[in-house]
Amino acid sequence: MDAVRAFLRHPSGMAGLVLLLAVVALALLAPVLFPVSPWEMVGAPFTPPGEDGMWLGGDTLGRDVAAGVAHGARVSLVIGIASAFAAMVIGVVIGAISGYFGGAVDLVLMRVTELFQTVPAFILAILLVATFSPTLTTIILTLGAVSWPPLARLTRAEFLRLRKREFVEAALCQGEGTARIVLGHILPNAISPILVVTSLTVATAILLESALSFMGLGDPNQMSWGFMIGAGRTVIRNAWWMSVFPGVAILLTVLAINLFGEGLSDVLNPRVSRRRA
Amino acid sequence: MNRREFTAAILAGSAALPFGITRAVGQTRGGTLNTIIQPEPPVLVTALNQQQPTLTLGGKIYESLLKYGPDLKPMPGMAKSWEISPDGLTYTFKLFEGITFHDGKPMTSEDVVFSCMQVLTQTHPRARNNFARVASAEAPDPLTVVFKLKQPFAPFLGCFDCTSAPILPKHVYEGTDFRKNPMNDKAIGTGPFKLKEWVRGSHVHLVRHDGYYLKDQPYLDEIIYRVIPDAASRALALENGTVQLVQWSDIEFFDVTRFKKQANLEYTTNGYEYFAPHQWLEMNNRIAPMNDKRFRQAVMHLIDRDALNKRVYFGNAKIATGPISSKTRFYDGNVKKYEYSLDKAKALLDEMGLKPGANGKRAEIKYVVPPYGEVYQRAGEFFRQSFSRVGIDLVLVGTDMAGWAEKVGNWDYEMTQNLLYQLGDPALGVSRTYISTNIKKGILFSNTQGYSNPEVDRLFEEAAVALDEKKRQELYTKVQQILVEDVPVAWTLELEYPIFYDKSLKNVVTTAIGSHETFGVVHKS
Amino acid sequence: MRGARSAAAIGLAAITWAVRLVAVILVIATFNFILVRAAPGDPAQVMAGQSGAADPKILEDLRKEYGLDQPYLVQLGTHLKRVLSFDLGYSYRQRRPVLDLIMERLPATLLLTLTAFCLALLVGTTLGALAGLAAGSVVDTLFTVLSLLLYATPVFWLGLMLVLVFSVTLGWLPAFGYETINAKLTPIERVFDIGKHMIMPVVSLAAIYLAIYARLMRSSIIEVAHQDFIKTARAKGLAGPRIVVGHMLRNALVPVVTVAGMQAGALVGGAVVIETVFAWPGLGRLTFDAVLQRDYPVLLGIFLILSIIVIVLNLATDLVYRLIDPRMTTGAA
Repeated sequence: MDAVRAFLRHPSGMAGLVLLLAVVALALLAPVLFPVSPWEMVGAPFTPPGEDGMWLGGDTLGRDVAAGVAHGARVSLVIGIASAFAAMVIGVVIGAISGYFGGAVDLVLMRVTELFQTVPAFILAILLVATFSPTLTTIILTLGAVSWPPLARLTRAEFLRLRKREFVEAALCQGEGTARIVLGHILPNAISPILVVTSLTVATAILLESALSFMGLGDPNQMSWGFMIGAGRTVIRNAWWMSVFPGVAILLTVLAINLFGEGLSDVLNPRVSRRRA
Repeated sequence: MNRREFTAAILAGSAALPFGITRAVGQTRGGTLNTIIQPEPPVLVTALNQQQPTLTLGGKIYESLLKYGPDLKPMPGMAKSWEISPDGLTYTFKLFEGITFHDGKPMTSEDVVFSCMQVLTQTHPRARNNFARVASAEAPDPLTVVFKLKQPFAPFLGCFDCTSAPILPKHVYEGTDFRKNPMNDKAIGTGPFKLKEWVRGSHVHLVRHDGYYLKDQPYLDEIIYRVIPDAASRALALENGTVQLVQWSDIEFFDVTRFKKQANLEYTTNGYEYFAPHQWLEMNNRIAPMNDKRFRQAVMHLIDRDALNKRVYFGNAKIATGPISSKTRFYDGNVKKYEYSLDKAKALLDEMGLKPGANGKRAEIKYVVPPYGEVYQRAGEFFRQSFSRVGIDLVLVGTDMAGWAEKVGNWDYEMTQNLLYQLGDPALGVSRTYISTNIKKGILFSNTQGYSNPEVDRLFEEAAVALDEKKRQELYTKVQQILVEDVPVAWTLELEYPIFYDKSLKNVVTTAIGSHETFGVVHKS
Repeated sequence: MRGARSAAAIGLAAITWAVRLVAVILVIATFNFILVRAAPGDPAQVMAGQSGAADPKILEDLRKEYGLDQPYLVQLGTHLKRVLSFDLGYSYRQRRPVLDLIMERLPATLLLTLTAFCLALLVGTTLGALAGLAAGSVVDTLFTVLSLLLYATPVFWLGLMLVLVFSVTLGWLPAFGYETINAKLTPIERVFDIGKHMIMPVVSLAAIYLAIYARLMRSSIIEVAHQDFIKTARAKGLAGPRIVVGHMLRNALVPVVTVAGMQAGALVGGAVVIETVFAWPGLGRLTFDAVLQRDYPVLLGIFLILSIIVIVLNLATDLVYRLIDPRMTTGAA
């Protein structure tokens, strides 16, 4: 409860939370606010903002940009959260094994982690999505697959730190099983920094997804913000609103998650927070 | 120059001035043409690669025996005259004198025979089919080429434009691996322009070939093709005069209206007659429900092709009525009409038993989006909305070029969009999509949808070998009627790609291949 | 004695690095190979298919020409052998050796990324240091807000917005390309011309890293300022500015350099998007085209070269690390 009270007094963290709740509300209410599919051609092509009932304007085919932004919030949040979760699962498993067992296992796993960090995440993502063709699932898995190394390193560091602690040693002496020690003793103590970094991974995943969609590697059946900006790029002379508004939406969402995540970090783990900066 | 002026000029012309085009006077010699090449071609040798950018650039470097007017009638190219024997089996071409390659060596009939029979039959799929009909090709003297056909082939004279039969130097290629010949980088042809420099990712610089055989030509000193991958950047380049000529899809369709109003630019949709790009929604005829003629007819009814033209193509197209484009020969518009009617579409679907299920959906169909740019993406989105109105879910599947080619070529698709050129004659560009002998697994731009009708096969075959134009028209009219009834593919639009050029440029579009032409006659005023 | 020992240490480090370099190259090459070969799509099909009406004979020839008819293991073996001898193969779409393709695009990318990198590092650390020293002031808050905003901005969107403002609306800067083609400029004019084309791509690519370095530097400065040795120095009465220059900056730069080294590869990744927006003729564009066209040899080559660059940059960072951090004696943990 102290943490909650501390967070409530954290101005930027609260600003992030409020903004984030607004985005979540937009995503949840999208079907109510814009009952017609965002793909439906409801007006004339290139309708300027405010005309024809489209207050953020219409796109190349006469689709409502506002509807796209609202429905896009669903896509961005789903992809962001799901892929951050995937990254967390991969990262925690690898980091935990590496940190707990150490030795040769640690060496091999850390080399693999390094390898994944050596190949630029975005290019690897392009390669993976292009290879397995862009759908919601492949995009989520891909973003998870390129985002886990920081989480693995963090988890490993936490495990290395906690393994030497008295309560773990005590559990070991009492002959508790490895799984019990890892899940029952170490992980609960390491979870809060992991959650903080995962929440920040959501932001990076949203940015990565938008860049993929912008390059034409998004799921063609999902109205996402990156897709909208990509579609607006070539017509930027004719319709600035097509690329400006979805971009603002990404900026605000990512900003909100970052502020929230950092606020959380300051409140929960001053130590990790300072190190990560 | 509009089409009528052009025709008049042709009639007034003589063999000595084969193009009959306003000859540039002294002060118009010289100058630089800046234009766009998009995407960057992999190679400039048109014998090795026939993608649009390669042809646009390579067209300046490699010439062939003939050119074709907007009416698709042959005109002199490197051949100043030609004769066909009465039995339609022997074609004799007489070449101009003094033609040289860019390396200074003379071009003779030996080079023509070598290029057509040795090189193109190996490297140029389209030419391979054409020259497969030749029994023998001979070079009795340096200026004469004689082709003897195995059996009459009506469109044979239509196989000699610079994109279909580019002539290469025998002394460079003989006995080598054509695809790996290091001289490919030098791109040695006989065209009015030669390669000076190619800075990959930036530009291709062509300069005049001083030894060109036609007096005073080329009029321009140099042509610079800029590589500009970004569409908005291309539009900006045309707008501020960085480039003076754009062709094909350099300018997106939505920008055409804006540029039509720009005072210094000339706009035309001429110069695509040979290609007559014909677009359709392709349906795999082997798979239910697309294997039912009524379903395919319903598709014709449920697509508002007028709206498709207006919203996706911004009016830069004509509604297609059937397999043959109205812009090419042997077109007949007197066929069954499919107006936009959701009721008729639903009635047909009900009749074949494809009724809406509990969730209101009749079917779910996968649509592979061709990876050729945004317009294809928008068209896919348009189709998805169209099908949703009659309760059919179209699921768009994104893919890359290799994936698309493999899926379509190997018949592993349900629906996609396709665009084929008509190539000046139905026997060259149309029949390949519908005849059952061209159902060839693994091959793109064949009868990939798997349509088969013996009557259609017979009519196309007869029309290909018939020499009488009237007889051919009868056969093609019949085949168009049958195909429009059967709807092997749902024809949508005849695309009208724009050409914009600065008004100071003259003679830009003079033939049926427009911007692929050699540009020897292009000059600045 | 001490010199000899450090020379031996450096020699050992060099050998370790060389072994790691080769090992990583082999692993990445294998990884790429498996991944790319697992992809759907037959390259011969595309090559011939695009040309018009392909023929089985032509497809067969193409497969033979590029060894695509060999078993995968044979292809892999040949591939690894070639990679180690720096033969990156032949691009059948571009009809040129892969190394040539990469090398001619590399300068444009290096120019773009290195300029962006230097800009981000210099401006980022300067702003971060200023903000850190004046922690809590209005300037500090302003910098923090600005870096937060930049950190949340999609790179490509920032580029587009710059185009919208400075090219479309104001007409001040060229929206695309590397230089004005055929402008017949003097060498000095040409440098300025390229510089003008570079402004927007560099700024949009640098922005996010600038924000990262500024935030790192800020917190690093704050942290260092509270460390004991600085407090001791202050207590001893050493002058403020000397402390800043001599101790704080040097120590505060350590985490920035570490992160900068780690992000060199990501910077090249960001260049893919930026080069698309600005039609910049570099490696990023080549990567994207190669993926779309399934140009296997080019893809493999690019990934290999990028990995080598990243490893070399890591080495460089490690050296800088040793130079600026006096406590550093052995290799990076």
